[in-house]
Order: sequence, then C-alpha cells, then structure tokens
Amino acid sequence: MLELGTYSLWAALFFALAGAGFLGLGMLWDRKDLLRNGYYAVYGFFLTTVVAAAVLLQAFLKGDFGFSYVVENSDASLSTFYRIAGFWAGQQGSFLLWLLLLAIVAVVIALLDLIRLERLTGGAVMVLGIISAVFAALMVFDAGSNPFVRAAAGAQPFGLNPLLLHPAMVLHPPALFIGYVGLAVPFAYAVSTLLLGRGDKLWVQRAQKWGVAGWLFLSLGIGLGAWWAYVVLSFGGYWGWDPVENTSLVPWLTATALLHAFTLYKARGLFKHWALGLAAATFFFTILATWTTRTGLISSVHAFEKNSLLIDILTTFLAVTAALSIGLSAWRWGRFKSHDELQSVLSREFLYYVTNLLLTLFAVAVAFGTVVVPLTMNRTVGPSTYNSIAQPLGVVTLALIAICPLLAWRKTDGAQLSRRLILPLVTMGLSAVLWLSLGFQSDLLGFIGLLVCGFAFGAVIQFVLHAARKAAGPAKSLWLGLGRAFTGSRTRTGAYFVHLGMVLIVAGLLGSNVYKVEKSTIVKVKPGATAGLNGYTLTYRTMDESTGAQGSVRSVAHFDVAKDGAPIGTLAPHTDVYPVSGAAVRAVILGRAFEDLFVVADEPFDSSSKTIALRTVIFPLIRWVWIGSILLCAGAVVSLWPRGRRKEQEARVPEANAAVGDAARADGATA
Amino acid sequence: MNKKSRTRLLIATGVIVVVFVIGVVFLVQRQGAYYRQVSDLTTGKYDGKNVKVGGRVLGGSIDRDASGVHFTIEDLTGKSDTVKVTYAGQMPNTFDAGVDVVVVGKYASTDGVITADQLQTKCPSKYKGQASPSAQLGQ
Repeated sequence: MLELGTYSLWAALFFALAGAGFLGLGMLWDRKDLLRNGYYAVYGFFLTTVVAAAVLLQAFLKGDFGFSYVVENSDASLSTFYRIAGFWAGQQGSFLLWLLLLAIVAVVIALLDLIRLERLTGGAVMVLGIISAVFAALMVFDAGSNPFVRAAAGAQPFGLNPLLLHPAMVLHPPALFIGYVGLAVPFAYAVSTLLLGRGDKLWVQRAQKWGVAGWLFLSLGIGLGAWWAYVVLSFGGYWGWDPVENTSLVPWLTATALLHAFTLYKARGLFKHWALGLAAATFFFTILATWTTRTGLISSVHAFEKNSLLIDILTTFLAVTAALSIGLSAWRWGRFKSHDELQSVLSREFLYYVTNLLLTLFAVAVAFGTVVVPLTMNRTVGPSTYNSIAQPLGVVTLALIAICPLLAWRKTDGAQLSRRLILPLVTMGLSAVLWLSLGFQSDLLGFIGLLVCGFAFGAVIQFVLHAARKAAGPAKSLWLGLGRAFTGSRTRTGAYFVHLGMVLIVAGLLGSNVYKVEKSTIVKVKPGATAGLNGYTLTYRTMDESTGAQGSVRSVAHFDVAKDGAPIGTLAPHTDVYPVSGAAVRAVILGRAFEDLFVVADEPFDSSSKTIALRTVIFPLIRWVWIGSILLCAGAVVSLWPRGRRKEQEARVPEANAAVGDAARADGATA
Repeated sequence: MNKKSRTRLLIATGVIVVVFVIGVVFLVQRQGAYYRQVSDLTTGKYDGKNVKVGGRVLGGSIDRDASGVHFTIEDLTGKSDTVKVTYAGQMPNTFDAGVDVVVVGKYASTDGVITADQLQTKCPSKYKGQASPSAQLGQ
C-alpha cells in the first residue's frame, strides 16, 4: 500500500504539471481545445490525489503500522473519530490534506468552466495546478514530508498526542487548511487577470465566493483553535500570540480587507490595486504560515522539526510568489486604474479604504513581530507588545466598521449622517450603564473600547433599519422593508451578522483581556479547605480516580463553588497521567452570563498530593467571543447561500434603482 | 480622482502609516526581548532589559509559594553560570527538575533574578518536537 501511495503522489505531481502546462498554453494562445485538455489533466490530478489520500486514510482506519506516519500519530486503542484525526496530526499528513483540498477546489472550478472554457478561469486553474505541484513535489522529494514512508520493524505506535484528543482539535486543522485553500483562489484569479491584462471585474465575480468561503473557514479554524486553547491547553487564556497563532491571524486580517476591497472593486471600481495586492498578500501569508511552523526557523512550541530541503522549497516558493505578484502588478499597473473617482472624504469608500489600510498594517505588524524580528534582530516580541498594538487598533477598526455603513457612497449629507448617528449614540449610552454595573470603569482605555462596542451595536441596527426603509418602497411598511432588507442582498444580510459578531467579539476580547482577574492559591487536600477570588469561594470536598483514554489515570478534585456565600455549582479540575507521555492538567470552567470562572491546577496532582496549587481566573465577557464567532460564521454562510438565478435578478433591480437614487441624491446635494 | 479628496487621502494614508510604524518600532525597541544564554547575563549589559533565555532547571531548586514558582536554571552551552527565575503564570505540564526551559522576562542583575512572564518547556519527547505534550502556550 505504501508504494501505491507514493506512486499516486508522483502521478498527482505529473498531472498537476501537465494540467498547468496545457492551461497555460491554452490561455496564452486562446485555444479552447488546450484548455479542455488542461481540465482533463486536472481530473487526473484530482483522482490520483484522492487515491493517495484514501491509501493513508485506510492505513489509519485499519491501524496499518507499517506506515511510519501512522506509527507516529495513532495507536490501536483510539476510536474511529480520532484515528481519522491522526491523518492531519503531523506534518506529512497535513501536506497531503492540503493537496487533496487543492485538488477538490481545482476540479470544482474546472467542472464549472468545462462548457464556458474562458481564458481567465483557465489561467486561474493553471495557478492552482502550479501550487499543487509544489505541494506534491514537497511530499515526493522530501522524505520528512512524505506520509508514505515505511516504519522501522517493531516500531511502537506513539498514539495521538493526548492534548489533541478533543473535537475542536480534530476540526481545527482541516478548517484552517480549507480556509487557506479557499483563499488561494482569489490569488489564482488575480494572477490570471494580470497575465491577461483584464482590468474588468470578472475575476472578482469569479473569485469572490471562494474568498468568502476561505475567510469563513479560516475564521472557524482560528475560533476553534482559541476555544481548544481555552478549554484544553489550560494556560489561562485562549490566545497566546504564539507564532503559529499569529501566522493564521495574519492571512485572516488581509482576507478581511480583501473581501472589502472586492466590494469596493465591484460597486465602485475603486482601489483596484488594493484588491490585487490583498489577494496576493493573503496567499503569501498562508504560505508564510506553513513556512513558519514547518521549517522550524522560528522557535514556536508548535514548530515541527528543522528540515533543510523543506526550507529550501518553501522559501523559494515564497520568494517566487512575492516576486511574481510584484512583477505582474508593476507590468499591468495602468490597466487597473480606478474608473471612478473618490469624491469626498466623508464617504463610504473612503472609510472602506482606511479600514483596509489599518487591517493591512495590523497584519504586517504581526508578521513583522513574528517573523522579521526574531530572524533579523535576534530579539523576540511577547504578548504584551502585541496586545498594546491590537487593542487600540481593534477598537479604532471597530469604530470605522460601525460608521462605514452609515455613510453613503460618494458623498454623505451631513444632516442625514447626524440623524443616523442618533441610534448608535443612544445604544452607546445604554451600554455605558451595563459596563458601569459590571465594574468596568477600572480601566479607562478598556472602558472607551467597550463604549465603542456599544456604539457599533447601535450602528448595526441602524444599518439594518436604513436598508429596511430603503427597501420598503412607496408602501412605507417597515415590516415589509425589514423582510426585504434581510432577503434582498445576501452579501448585505451576511454583513449584518458578521458586523454584529465582530461587535460581540471585540467586546468579549476587551472584557476578558483587560478585566481578567487571576490568583493562585495553594489549597490543602483536606475537606473544607477553601480558595477564593472576587466573591467566589471554592471549598475542597473529595478526590477520586478513574481510567481514561490511552490507559491514562485521571485524578479529579471536587470543589463546591459559592458566590457571595450562595452556592452556584461544583467544579472538578483534574490531572490526566498518560503512561507514555506524562501528566496533563485540565482546566474546568463554570460559565455565567457575564463571566467565566476558570479553574486549573498549576501542577499535576494525584491522590498522594498534600496540596493543590489552584489557579482561579475570572474572564469577563469571554462567552461573547464564542457567540460572536458563531454569528460571524453564520453571516458568511448566509452570504454564500446559493439562490435561484431568477430571484437573483429580481433582487438586483431594486438594489440598482436604490443605488441610482442614492447617487442622484448625492449629486443633488453637491449641486 | 477628485484632486482635493486625493490629497486628503494621501495625507490620511501618510499620517496613519507614519504613526503606526513609529508605534510598532517603539514597542519592539522597548519591549522586545533579546535571545541570550544564561552566561551572557553576568556581563551586566542586560540589567533591567527583557531577555529570552534557555536553560536547564537545576535539581532541588524548585520552590513554590503564593507569589509563584521560584527555580534556578543553568547555562546550556556548558558554562557553569546559573540564574534564578520567578514565574507566576500557569506551569507547563512537563515542568520539572532537569527539563530544558525557555523563559522570557525582565532581568535584574542586583538580585540576579529573571521575573518571567512567559515560560515554555522544551520537550525531549518522542513526539519528535511536533506539538509536544508540553506544548503549553506559556503565558
């Protein structure tokens, strides 16, 4: 079976290159027959990759320990769910998963375009083919990246790392990879449109949904990772500004900017270079993420082993991507001039621009701190530095996101804007009451940030109401309008949810970072011994032991929890001792509406311990981060939801009329 | 592009970029920790500076009280220098005597202590350095 896997990878490499070759020539000479042949080669690439992936998957399912990779990431005791997860638990398998996802995306685009056979799409699939060839080559030529390596005779299976035995950790890597691959599509189309010198918006129309899907899965992946870190890693937080986290945040930031640049490109034909640049930057940063974690050049707790061939291939790939993007953009610069002009600073497009600028700068700063500072300055940047950049920037960006939809395209009428600001200001005032009652006045900057969240909340509602009023038409029925506002444009409806989600996320991040309280207490292992923090009292009751996964022994300490004397529940922090990989403490969390009580032992304990070093942490508003993340993903799903062609056209007409009306009003105001 | 708006756009861009770059450079200069060996600290050049130091935890040096964990690490390059570390955060699961750790924090030469705000253990495990069981995001 090992041979079948390796041969399939070779075949995949061949088909990916052949496809790219045909498509490249087909695009260059505008020959539909060559494009069609290119797509057939892409089918071959897809099929061979599926075979390779199936070989590895069956090895995990059957527990075939002849595969060195299976030995390292699985054992016979695991359930089917975690056996499948072993597929992407290490470097080799994650490359194969990445290749499989690239193959799926390429084949879907090829199938959709088999009738049309347009040059632009052919060029984009060519780019995807080249990217796939790089990944296939990595696995074929670098033994350290090849999942089909024979295990040494008598090798003992390592089992899955116990920290990864969690549903979030099973889903986190594939979500990230789907995100990365989805975001490769805008890049592929950008390269294609640059090669063809097409400055129109076709490439944006083709790439936009892929970009949104990629962004959705990247958001989901980051959210799952944070949640896993919170509940499993037990370090008293959910984001450590570790290189591996940072390098997934960076493409998320540029992708967020990219989606806005797409809207601007399509709606107004402005800042086209930004859309191209962000598409390229996002792809570059997804590869940089792999480069950072896989080459071992940046010391991260997650880093894989150092490996020189891998470093050479990935570094070259990064350099070529950057050089190609810059070169092509410079060559075609003039073709992508804005075909409209920015009329006023007080306009929606201007705020879009500033938001994108800030997101991009934030991304560059995080990448700089994560990669450039350690490599060139022999220094390292810690969480406090990132926090002091992220907190003000996050709040300012949220303020811009809040105001942006309240402004009109082109030029905003001052009186109209003041009317639209009333509701957000009212919600800001109301939120102040809530924040004060929660005691958040203790930090001024945090308080200001939370006030902005209150403002942004009202702004989202105003955004919906405004759309409703516009959609209500002559009947002036608000309900009808509201219905239409939600069914009109999928993108806009999605944006309501995403923006509302962002408000909750920023509020939750501020609350749980700025107002986090923690304390470590050494508690005697004696019934009645207590630990306390901010009105919470934990009273030790008993300890018991049980056996868990992978032959581990779990010691559980039971505590009663009371708030201001009234019992509110129990908490049972525990330690798992694994026979092969040592002890792991696990945190437990008591969730309440406005804060989480997070409890974990500072050191592993068992029934022979005399004391437990108990860390108690209070995370205000942290739940809002999870709720906000769900809303954000739901919003992206809404905007992706397919709809019938006829309905699409119907919806476009009133929208177009509204846009014309808007513009006419703006022009009237100018006159 | 409308000329007045274009000028404003360029000015706004310039101001934002300049403020941002200055801010980031300032923060990195002030807070960025130097990668150093334990033996480098004795030169006195790093008093009051943020440092990132790797070392091996000395047997019998670990002491815990309400203010956190105190321990001593020795140089990894074969020199005999040691430095004391105080850390108040969550301990990684595999922290123990004899383990190699990386600490990041402020060094004070007067009492020879690094007050660490980050601590990571390097795990010599058979997980080949992939997300090792010790992979705590030491914060």
